[in-house]
Amino acid sequence: MITITPKRAFTVQIQATCINVDVFTGKTIQDIKNLPITEGKETITLNDAFNITENKTVETPNITLTGDFSKVKRIGQGMKTGEIVINGDVGMHTGEKLSGGKIIVNGNSGGWTGSEMKKGLIEVHGNSGDYTASPYRGTSTGMRGGLIIVYGNVGTDVGCYMQGGLIRINGSAGRYLGYHMLGGTIYVEKDCAIRVGACMTGGKIIINGTVELLMPTFTVDSIKPKVKIDATQTAQGPFYVFLGDIAERGTGKIFALKATNPTCSSYEKYL
Amino acid sequence: MTKVIGSVVCTICGCLCDDLEVTVENNEIIKMKNGCAVCEAKMVHGYKSEERILKPHIRKNGKLVPVTIDEAIHEAAQILTDAKYPLLFGWTSSASETQHVGVELAEELGSALDNCCSVCHGPSVMATQEIGIPTATLGQIRHRADLIIYWACNPWSSHPRHVERYTAFTEGRFEKSEFKEYVQKLKAKASQKKVAAAIRRTQVRYQSPSRPKSALVEAPPQTLAKEGRKMVVFDVMKTMTAEVADYFVQVEPNRDYEIFGALRCLVNDQELDVDTVGGVPVDYLKEIADVMVNAEFGAIFFGLGLTQSIGRFRNVELAIALTRDLNRKTKFVVSPMRGHFNVTGANTVFAWQTGYPFALDFSQGYPQYNPGEFTAIDLLRRGDNDATLVISADPGAHFPKGALQNMLKYPLITINPDWNAISRLGDVVFPTQWCGIEQAGTAYRMDSVAITLKKVVEAPKGVPSDEEIVRRILEEVRVIKAKKTATDAADGNVSQEMVGSKKRRSKSIEKEMY
Amino acid sequence: MTEILIKNGFVFDPINKIDCQKMDIAIKDGKIVKKVSESNAKIIDVSGLTVMAGGVDIHSHIAGSEVNLGRLIRPDDHVKDVVKKTALTRSGTGYSIPTTYVTGYRYSKMGYTTVMNPSMAAMKAKHAHEELNDIPLIDKASFTLLGDWWFALENIAKGDFKECARLVAWMIRSTRSYAIKIVNPGGLESWGFGRNVHSLDDEVPNFCLTPRDIIIGMAKVNTMLNMPHTIHLHTNNLGVPGNYKTTIDTMRALESVYQGDKPIGHITHIQFSSFAGDNWAHFKSGAEEIANYLNAHNHMTVDIGQITFADTTTMTADGPFEFALYELGGHNKWVNSDVETESSGGIIPFHFKRKNAVNAIQWSIGLELSLLIKDPWKWFMTTDHPNGGPFFHYPRVFAWLYSRKAREATLKNCNKKAQKKSLLPSIDREYTLYELAIVTRAGTAKALGLKNKGHLGIGADADVSIYNINPETTDIANTYKSVRKAFGNAVYTIKDGEIVVKDAEIVATPSGRTMWLDVQTKEPCRINDEMKRKFKEYWTIEFDNYPVTDHYIKVPEKISIKASV
Repeated sequence: MITITPKRAFTVQIQATCINVDVFTGKTIQDIKNLPITEGKETITLNDAFNITENKTVETPNITLTGDFSKVKRIGQGMKTGEIVINGDVGMHTGEKLSGGKIIVNGNSGGWTGSEMKKGLIEVHGNSGDYTASPYRGTSTGMRGGLIIVYGNVGTDVGCYMQGGLIRINGSAGRYLGYHMLGGTIYVEKDCAIRVGACMTGGKIIINGTVELLMPTFTVDSIKPKVKIDATQTAQGPFYVFLGDIAERGTGKIFALKATNPTCSSYEKYL
Repeated sequence: MTKVIGSVVCTICGCLCDDLEVTVENNEIIKMKNGCAVCEAKMVHGYKSEERILKPHIRKNGKLVPVTIDEAIHEAAQILTDAKYPLLFGWTSSASETQHVGVELAEELGSALDNCCSVCHGPSVMATQEIGIPTATLGQIRHRADLIIYWACNPWSSHPRHVERYTAFTEGRFEKSEFKEYVQKLKAKASQKKVAAAIRRTQVRYQSPSRPKSALVEAPPQTLAKEGRKMVVFDVMKTMTAEVADYFVQVEPNRDYEIFGALRCLVNDQELDVDTVGGVPVDYLKEIADVMVNAEFGAIFFGLGLTQSIGRFRNVELAIALTRDLNRKTKFVVSPMRGHFNVTGANTVFAWQTGYPFALDFSQGYPQYNPGEFTAIDLLRRGDNDATLVISADPGAHFPKGALQNMLKYPLITINPDWNAISRLGDVVFPTQWCGIEQAGTAYRMDSVAITLKKVVEAPKGVPSDEEIVRRILEEVRVIKAKKTATDAADGNVSQEMVGSKKRRSKSIEKEMY
Repeated sequence: MTEILIKNGFVFDPINKIDCQKMDIAIKDGKIVKKVSESNAKIIDVSGLTVMAGGVDIHSHIAGSEVNLGRLIRPDDHVKDVVKKTALTRSGTGYSIPTTYVTGYRYSKMGYTTVMNPSMAAMKAKHAHEELNDIPLIDKASFTLLGDWWFALENIAKGDFKECARLVAWMIRSTRSYAIKIVNPGGLESWGFGRNVHSLDDEVPNFCLTPRDIIIGMAKVNTMLNMPHTIHLHTNNLGVPGNYKTTIDTMRALESVYQGDKPIGHITHIQFSSFAGDNWAHFKSGAEEIANYLNAHNHMTVDIGQITFADTTTMTADGPFEFALYELGGHNKWVNSDVETESSGGIIPFHFKRKNAVNAIQWSIGLELSLLIKDPWKWFMTTDHPNGGPFFHYPRVFAWLYSRKAREATLKNCNKKAQKKSLLPSIDREYTLYELAIVTRAGTAKALGLKNKGHLGIGADADVSIYNINPETTDIANTYKSVRKAFGNAVYTIKDGEIVVKDAEIVATPSGRTMWLDVQTKEPCRINDEMKRKFKEYWTIEFDNYPVTDHYIKVPEKISIKASV
């Protein structure tokens, strides 16, 4: 296990794509210390900014980060295997394009966490920022597989263009949850802000709390007693089931818990 | 000596009206023809401001003192080179020639680079990146559009000649001006008012029956089905533009997105499960959708009401999606009402050199782009940068407090013609010429047509153009970097002193401000 | 200026009929000269290498409003291909539409020194020139879109070709351009109200004329003005199955204007206009018919617009075509950009896939045309960058031309249905380096009327490219991969007598020149109050502010032409 702690507080952004199990594998501690990162415009080594120690007796997690990493970006980007544990806040693009392995954040994580992720697991025990699991600007392929669990709340535009996998949010979700979603599942334990599922054409969003306002472009389909989150978990209803986004001729589904969404009762007349 | 200069370009808004006739006497603009009131305010009066900066200044012991241009250039270059991650912000009131050098400076510094569009129509550009945009130059709309929709913008005040030059009140080849009808309408309204006043006077003794409290939105008038140009305004309040329009739809604040969604369904002949959307009855929306579909050529102009309310670029995205859907039935275009006269230019110039329009970062040696990550306000609020250069913009007056506080913790360089809020807070303050008045150059109209700005009067003596300042800073940065590489090579190690010697700003300035 | 002597190379110079001759090339003051003294000159020994004139690209969208809008909407494309700053070169991004500097560098690395920017809306000409100034290392010129310009349409409808010619001359001068570009004549004007024209004889709404009138009228105008290049034509019905008939109609229509000496028209990216079949399901190649026509006639030249199977960005002034393409589905972005009184435009990101039947057939059409047109002076190699694929894929296209093996290797991976329909297995032709030099430099330079380009004769511009290909020892068809690599990585590129690329690295970054025509008509077009009034009615820019001034051209090369009107 490699342990990394910051040597000082950081002002400017640090891009540290190299903090990645795939990169560390097969390198000596000295090699790792000399890996290049950028602090603002300046290229420095990992050792210039962080204390790095190795504990050969512990195998997993492969990398432990302890301290404030909120200015450090792109940790575990494109990682294929291994496990990173971050004890503290972490910056943007954590686990971007993750294609395997595990990243556990015991703190908050920044924007674009798990962006364009393909496989693997990201667990955030605090809140996760805007664009979690959403793709880069102008890209229309989002998360394709894997699992993201957020124990806190998430920001806006989470799970845009999602095609597969599961996002489980134990707190509340911001605006545009599952925007332009094509497949996969998003589960929200608490409330959901406006414009959930806007432009979605497939997949499902399950909301166990209150929906602030449903887009007018959704049409009520039925009331279902329960819904499957994944192979093992089921959410107990009854749920209103909405289909949409009809403006995109979509067949995405939003499941909104009946008990917590009395305003949706106006739709019952269409059933 | 008096001379009259024709075809002068106005440097206020994205309309870039280029038919001004300016009278110059003794190197001063004394009169102007064709310009709007806003234009006259700047180009006849504003530019002569007594608040003009005439000399470069550097803050020494908390006070700004005049220095030579060379000293200021060196100081600015030194600050920018010493900083680990400077931010260069502004650019939208500069000519594209200046913006061009700006990109080179940012690249040389490895800094962040952003322009004012991140606080105005950046979201429009981002929406374009998501789904494209069906648009046209303004003349196309002038010649052909028989339905003009102003959405969340008020050109009557912000782009005063937009309606007159490009849309409802202009003679096109295939569509005629509605100005006469408008005047008639005004007259009719005035006489109605007179009648109403007379009735009121006679009936003053009686309790007039109070009007039934109706919904905010009136039903679409019959005239909406008329031949000829029609103008519809969607906004959260009744603006001057709305007064002029054939039909005004008052939208609940922050509900534009829902209305666009509903209109898209209606245009595609789908039914909705709701009765009102964003405060507008669906029946009314149906009629509007009909008018849209039956138009020969429709145009939607949208403003900051979409780009800076909840949803931001997503609002614009749906406006574009609606336009796109309408193109299956008829011809429709959509266009942002760009604000600063050369904000489109900044996007254009940045894009051809880097591929991206704003929110740039050069720290990796190549351009990176991500609004939210590299946009000025986001950077500043997180406190991610450690020096700032502001050019032809006034974040001092417009940025949120948190962002500004972080900006002022570190050295600040400003390049502006007059003592605006940000110049007063600068550590190195450059004077500069008024672009388009004292300095020629190129600007891009809101429909990205390049127009040449004219130089009409001479700048005060010793006041350089911003292009020259930026270019000289760039040269000086290269000199400093070369020296640094040479000394580093001589010492054999990279000195960490630079970090230690970084100047923190004295607290007194912050107090001065707040 | 330095003198250079390129020694011992195998020279391919089709204009001077030099085919793989071992000879020296002397350079002085930016020109090819008879000889230089060996003691003064910098001597480059290129024994065993191939020497050609610098490449001349006849059709590549590298700058302008449309191109930049394409850049602007594709951050997803740029992030895949980033270029770092070096001490000498600027940073930038690719992929399908590289930024200006990167465009210059990449062209130069392939040994190209002249590129035509074929689609410039007159009203947005300043923008195009500002961008061209930022493209280093290559000479360039732009073609102005004039096929749907109201002034031209009105005068052609009236039958006043002389006045039309004078106006065109004024426009060419005012936009600092090099040729007349016609895109979907009549279609763009119709698109103003969301319509299109579907044959040469459809009437253009509001203007009382047909696409046929526009094409013939403009060809006449082009002849009257003694333009060095022919009209540069993007046909009607482009991208529609069965359109090869329209293309042949177009070429037939131009027969009437042909005077028997030099070509009268150039059809660009003809691959997109050579579709047979009634609909997309029955989509097939019309290459044979087109090639047969071209083999039997001499009044046309064409360029191909080869597909290279890339995730690219399609862009054209043909707004209605792009909308039709968008309507086929599967695209997330659509841009339309109409230009008042002149033109239109559209952009769609498009991924050409081997496994897609239509795309694979399109790829095959391009190559069938290239191989079936017998005379290489009649057709030129392009990918219609970025429409068929980005320009830096040219070496791939070369390989398909000179190596049957390369074609087979690609065809093997294509859609099965497309494989069955392809004529390629029946074609044995393999291009020689000499022929390749024709379709990439000599022929294009000739078609463009660029007398000092595309060859290495005395007096020519000293634009030279040198590739690591030994024609004596290499069997290019069999070792196509290494030859392909060599074409992408020039050993030397010399621009105006300056070495700019050495071993595929940029070593100098001079600005290229912008060529433009000063067409002098016998009597100038009548810029009177009447015209100014019309101008004010038609455009939203003042007459005085419309023309491109010298300020917008960094290194101009004015070419004066005497017109016969």
